[in-house]
Order: sequence, then structure tokens, then C-alpha cells
Amino acid sequence: MAAGGGHASVVWVIRRIGTAMLLVWLVASIVFLAIRCVPGDPAELLLAQGGAAPDPDAVAQLHHQLGLDQPMWAQYLHSFAGLLTGDLGQSLEDQSPVAGDILRRLPRTLELLGVAAVLALAVGLPTGLLAALRRGGLFDRAASGMAAAGLAIPVFVVGTLLVLVFAQQLHWVSAGGYAPLWPSPGRHLALLAMPAVTIAVGLVATVFRMTRAAVLDVSLRDHVRTARAKGVRRRGIVLRHVLRNALMPVVTVLALNLGSLLGGTVLVEYVFNYPGLSGLLVDAVNARDYPEVEGIVLVISILFVTLNLLMDFVYAALDPRVIRP
Amino acid sequence: MTRLRPGPVLLVAAIALLALAVPLLPLANPLGMAIAHRLAGPSAAHWLGQDQYGRDVLARLLWGARVSLSVALASSAIACLLGTALGIAGGFLGGAAEVLAIRGADVVLCFPPLLLALLVVTLLGPGASTLIPVLALVYLPGFVRVAYAGVLSVRAAEYVEAMRVLGAGSARIMARTILPNIGGPILVQLSLSAAAAVVLESGLSFLGLGVVPPAPSWGAMIADGRSTMAQSPLLLLWPCLALSLTILAMNALCDALRDAVDPHGVPRRRRPLDLLAPGLLAPPARAAGPVLEVSGLTIEIDTPLGPIRPVRDVSLRVAAGELLAVVGESGSGKSLTGLAVMGLLPDAARIVAGHAWVEGLEVLRLSDAALRPLRGARMAMVFQDPLSSLNPVHRIGAQIGEALRAHGVSARQDIARRVPELLRQVGIPDPARRAGNFPHELSGGMRQRAMIAMAVANDPCLLIADEPTTALDVTIQAQVLDLLARFRRERGMALVLITHSLPVVAEIADRVAVMYAGELLEVGDAAAIFARPLHPYTVALLDSAPAEDGGLPVGIRGAVPLPGRLPPGCVFAPRCDHRIDACEAAPPPLVELADDRATRCLRWRDLADLPQRAIA
Repeated sequence: MAAGGGHASVVWVIRRIGTAMLLVWLVASIVFLAIRCVPGDPAELLLAQGGAAPDPDAVAQLHHQLGLDQPMWAQYLHSFAGLLTGDLGQSLEDQSPVAGDILRRLPRTLELLGVAAVLALAVGLPTGLLAALRRGGLFDRAASGMAAAGLAIPVFVVGTLLVLVFAQQLHWVSAGGYAPLWPSPGRHLALLAMPAVTIAVGLVATVFRMTRAAVLDVSLRDHVRTARAKGVRRRGIVLRHVLRNALMPVVTVLALNLGSLLGGTVLVEYVFNYPGLSGLLVDAVNARDYPEVEGIVLVISILFVTLNLLMDFVYAALDPRVIRP
Repeated sequence: MTRLRPGPVLLVAAIALLALAVPLLPLANPLGMAIAHRLAGPSAAHWLGQDQYGRDVLARLLWGARVSLSVALASSAIACLLGTALGIAGGFLGGAAEVLAIRGADVVLCFPPLLLALLVVTLLGPGASTLIPVLALVYLPGFVRVAYAGVLSVRAAEYVEAMRVLGAGSARIMARTILPNIGGPILVQLSLSAAAAVVLESGLSFLGLGVVPPAPSWGAMIADGRSTMAQSPLLLLWPCLALSLTILAMNALCDALRDAVDPHGVPRRRRPLDLLAPGLLAPPARAAGPVLEVSGLTIEIDTPLGPIRPVRDVSLRVAAGELLAVVGESGSGKSLTGLAVMGLLPDAARIVAGHAWVEGLEVLRLSDAALRPLRGARMAMVFQDPLSSLNPVHRIGAQIGEALRAHGVSARQDIARRVPELLRQVGIPDPARRAGNFPHELSGGMRQRAMIAMAVANDPCLLIADEPTTALDVTIQAQVLDLLARFRRERGMALVLITHSLPVVAEIADRVAVMYAGELLEVGDAAAIFARPLHPYTVALLDSAPAEDGGLPVGIRGAVPLPGRLPPGCVFAPRCDHRIDACEAAPPPLVELADDRATRCLRWRDLADLPQRAIA
């Protein structure tokens, strides 16, 4: 039972990290295999110009350069050794190291998602709680209707309409682009605002709906009745016994959405011409730049697994039954 | 299943019909260009205007609906068929099929949907023919998971076992028993996938990776509109509107389907009258008297079949230091009576008549804000299931401390000192360490002791214990009852012990109230009731307990009447061996006898002459 609580949580953390690393290895292997199972020789595809058969010598040279002339297991080991040392190979297009390209683009995508997630929680959580507490009231109906609309409008439609209104018609902000945080923090934030809000619209609606549903569900639980029987003030009941217990499903749904957004900001980056990771991936796929594609998919998958690992830790902090069942 | 809301269904059906009927409508050719009229505004021939190649926008919009919906439906239908088959096979066959289907689905779920679709589309080339298998692949795992979960829940069900015993083959069992059972969730998943597929298809087409131009598609139309939005923003607006409204309708259908499949019951909204009316009739407070007095309490609950009254005209009295046992089968209204006194009735229930005084203060008409300082301080309650009644995410000590803090103990060190002291008083060993435990880390008996510590933290004058031992092992039950009885003795509390078992309270109760089907049937001194029950139901309850002389317990034939279908006369008459015609004619009154006894039986005098039997 309670004995050795600290010990139990250490074991739990180690086990979670171990599982996550296993998953990363699995995903990396699948990506490795998938790229090599795709029909068509990447070298031939890359060198083929206008339907003419490529020069066999050039293909052989590229094979050698990519290591494709080595046996599969050697390629596998080589790519893994590279992964462990942070070397993801070189881009076929411009010979730049893939890891460097990714490192330049990734923080921008993460910043976008981070701001959107903060917005989603800051708006979705309190409105969801309020709607649940005043269920059936005017606020609830208005907010629920807006959430339904927020879920129905696809992200690229939101983005396009924002551009139409705020950039085209009102000229408040420029239609898109990116500016580094330093030396132009103001411009950086201005350019970040529209894509972040665009992503946040769907997230806010999701967090709102989940919070509302979870709060309604938790309010009916026995322990809330116990708290009322103790004479706890309404504020304490709402915060400590309802909202606190309702956080878990809300965090889950937010994490799931952020996870699928890791590679799914393509549309937003495209609409706002925002140079994030997704855009790099689309370019790489279009150019058949296999090392680049492999690297990006790998990094996104690792982030996805890491996000899930972080979620497990958040769960453990929110619900003591996770670690010490 | 509850009824499906017709609104969303009709809306989606209308959109689908429109898409189906497009070839029959007198529309312009969606591909017919007229460069001379590029970006022309709305006209009689072109209601919504013309795009950058002079093509008719309305025609493209409607043909676009056709493309969008057919891709979405085809892909989710394929995903549904394959995914459901895989999920059922995995769940039902087990072994390798299970590992392959479920783990495979998990791996696919590891990739963000848009990313997955993007990768496959770029490798295979764009076009509607690629789009359908790609989207099917993206939504396949969802169906596998739903079907698998559904199968797991019915796999072990008795009727599936029965079919197996009867010699039905696996395929037949799957088709006959499992499919109908998981139909609901699969249908919900289908609607979710179709709606998501519309979004994904339009997104891919927007990027130029979905439907190939010049074929009309909403996503592509939005992409085109972007390039000309400075000149004609309306071109952008129409496809945005069409797309969003379609998704809105499909989402609404999903919600409606989910509600229909998984009815969580929509509780009644409280009428303003219910909140106001009781206050208008507030009676004056009473001076000294019993700690708790309930008089004529009647509770009404609205059900889909009309209002029922699960508690009718119940009157009780408990003095300081007295233990009143309220005994009755489940559904007798005993718990509701306790909750009503505490002001903790569920939203659907309301008090339609009666009064309750706690230390002379009428509590039934108090607002929640006025009741709060009393709850946990002057009157407290212990509930049936200590695990669900404790908050799983807070430590035991914090939950007990909360009871102290709610009633004026604010100093941190006071709470830190009193919480372990309370735990010690309820017999929890090593209280300082236990205070740091979470509820799930304690045994059932410990949890109930912690609940009791919480209830007595502020020395209440009234403690209501609602079946406090039902969820516990038999060996623990007696200890918890002793604990409650001791508190009552030592602190002079009035204790109301709600239970379904008469023998349990034989040794500790001072007075007993027997409830049945919402009515008080008999009340009186415990010793007197056990020695000489004056209601046939009390007799039957005593007979249904194991007897000391080794006689076998005798069950009560028949069942408790449903609250909506009460007999016209005595509620117990249909099950009573002593009934006479008068019993079934009109409800008998509660007859007040000497020595604070009362019975709701017309034939109590005859019962008094029956031979008595000893109980364990």
C-alpha cells in the first residue's frame, strides 16, 4: 500500500521512460522500413528529368552517396548510429545537414503550438467551467453554439478568413511570414498572433466542450456530495472537488490534439507562409528528399512519444492512483 | 436507445440529397470557362458569380459538394467495414489476430492523420482515387478500437457463452450477437469519420494534393479564392460557408447519434417556483426539543413517466444521545429522507410537504448558503460507499482538514494537530502517516473510519449514517457500528443509522423506524419492536433474518411496489398474509400508541396476540 511510495514512483517513472524509448525505436524502425519499401528507386526518381531515363553511372554514384548500395542491415545500423549521435544525414537538395534544418524550423512550430495551447486553456477552461455551472443558461447556450461553430470551421478556412478580414480588409497585420524574436520582438509577436489564434480556435472549442462535459460529470460524483455534507463553501467545492477532478480528461484531449497538430500545422503554415517544420516536410516530400523526410518524420514521432510521456507525468501529478494503484 | 433528434438528421439528409440531385439540376457546366467574364459578380445566369476562369461558382459549389461527400462517405465506409471486421476478429479470435489488429491500429494512430495522409498522397500522387484509400487508412484504426472494445465487453457475456455451448460457430456468433451490440458505437464512429474526412479532404485539396483541378472541390475553390481575394472576396466566402455548414451539420448529427446511443439522461431544469415556494411557507423556529424532528416529509421526483413520490408523510424524532435506526429495503425512501434533512437531495427531487427541525431550526426551507454553515458543523452525514465518497485526488488528512477549515479552524498548526487526533479517535493506527495517504491506499474499513472522522470533526449534534457498513466486510461491519455507537454515547450526538438489516441494529439501536415503499410503517422503542412487532412487514423483516433457535430465515414473497404503481390501500397489502378487505380499500393511517409507538396497520391488535420468535 503506502509503504515505499517514493520507491514505487521511481520504478514507475523508469518504466514509463523505458516504454517511451521502446516506442521511439519502434517508430524509427518503421520509418526506416517504410521509406525503403516505397515503390521506385529514390535515386532514379531524383535524377529523372522530364521522363528521360537517368544516367546509370549517376544513379550508382548517388546510391553510394546515400549508402543504398550497402546491405539493408548495414543501412539500418548506420542510420541508428546516426540517430544516437544526432546525425540525421544530409539533405539531397542542398547537402545541408538534416538535423540543422530541423533544429532551425522546429522551435517555430513548437512556439506556435505552445501559444495556441496556452490560449486554449486560458479561454476554454474558465468558459467550460462557467457553462457547466450555469447549464442551460444563456451563457451556456451561447458558448456551446460558438464551440460547435469553432469545431466545424476547418483550420485553413479560419486562417484564410482571418487573412481576408485583418490583413486584406483592415490592414491591421501583414498576411503572413515570420520574423525572428530578436531583433524584432514586436513584429515576431504580430506575425505569430494570427496563426496561433487560428490553431487556437479549434483547440478552445475542444477544451471548452471537454471541460463542460467533465465538470457536469464530476459534479454528480459521490465525493462532491461528501464535500457539500462537510459544509465546504461553493468556491472550494467547485475548485477543489469538481474542477480539480475534471482536469484529467481535459488534459487528455488537449494532449491528443496537440499530438496530432505536431505534424498537422501544415495547413496553417501554408496559409500564413510560416516557415515551420510542417512546411519543411511538405517541401522535402515534394522534392523527394528522402533523408530530410525520414529525419522530420522521426523527429515528429519522437516528439509525439515525448508528449505522451509528459502527459503520463501530468496524469501522475493530477491523479495519485496512476503511480500507486 | 433514446430517440434520435430529427433536426441534424434532416439537415445532413438534405445536403446529401442535394449532392445526389446535382446532375439533374439545370446548372451551368462546372468546367465551362468564359475568360471574358472572369471574376464577374452575381448575375441572372450565374447566381453566385463567376470565378477567375469565368466558371459558374454555384455549379462548382454544388458539384464540389458531390465530390466532397462521396470521397468522405466512400472512405469512411471502407474504413468502417474493414476496421470493424478487424476489430471483431481481433477481439473474438484473440491470439495473433488480436496482436496484429490492435497493435497495428496503435501504430497507425501514432502518426498525426494529416501527416499520414500527406505522406501517402505525395508518394502515390494526388487524385480522388488515391484520396479514398488514404482517408480509409487514416480512419481505419478508430473503427478497430471501437469494435475491439465492444467485442471485449460482450465476449464474456452470458448469451455469447450460451451460443457457444449450443454449438454455434465463431462466424455465426460474431454476426448474430456481437454486431448488433456494437452497432451503436460503430455508427457514431462512422459519422465522426465522415465529418473528419470532409475536413481532411478539403484540406488536402486546399494544398493541391487532393482532388485534381479542374474538378470542382471546396478545398481547391478556397485555395483559388485566396489568390483573388483582393478583387472578389465573395469567391472565398461561398466555399468557406458551404464547407463549414456541412461540417457543422455533420458534427450535429454525430452529437445527436452519440446522445441517442449513450443516454446519460438530461435532468429537468428547476422551475423558479420550486425555489421560491418553500420559502413562502417557512414555519417559525422551535425551541428546545429533540435534536432532529421530521414531520410529514414528502419528496417528489420527476421521471419520464411523470412525478413519483418516493417519500410520503414521514415523521421522525431523535433526541440527543439517542440512536434511531431507520430500517427498510432499498427503494423504501430512507436514504432520501436523510439527504433531505442535510439539504443534499439530487436536483431532480424536491420537497413538496413537511418540515424538519435540527436543534429547533427548520432546515428544509433554508437556502443552500444558509445551510452550509450547519452542514458538517451541527449536522453531518456518513455515506454508504467510502471509496466513491472520498475525493480520490486529495489526501485523507487534507479532506478531514477541509471539514475543520470550512467551519472556522484556520490556523495551519491547529489543523495539523487535530487531524491525526481525529484519526486516532476513530481507531486508525499510525494516524500521522495515514493522514498522508490517498483514499485508494486504505482498506475499506479504514476509509469508512476516515469518513466518520470527517463527519465528527466539528462535534455535530446530529449524525446521519446512510448504510455505513454495506460496502464493508462482515468482520469490519461490527467494528464500524461500535465506533458510531461509541461516538453517540461519548459525545451525546443524535445518531440516525440508515440500514436495510434489522438484526444489525438489534444491539445498539434505542429506537427503530421501519420504512417501506416511501412510508413509515412502524416506529418505536427498539426492545419493544423486536419483542412485539406491530406491523406485518416488521414481522416479515424479523423472519427474514437468521433465527437464534436455528429456524431457517423466511423470505418475503413478492416485491416492493414501484413508486409509480403503488397499491390504492396499504402499500404492503399485496405481500401481506394478514390483509383484509379494508387494507386494500384505503391507505391506513399511522396509529399512535402508548410509549411513543406507532404503526400503520389496521390489524395491529391481532398481531400483538401472535406468538413471538427470537432473533439472532
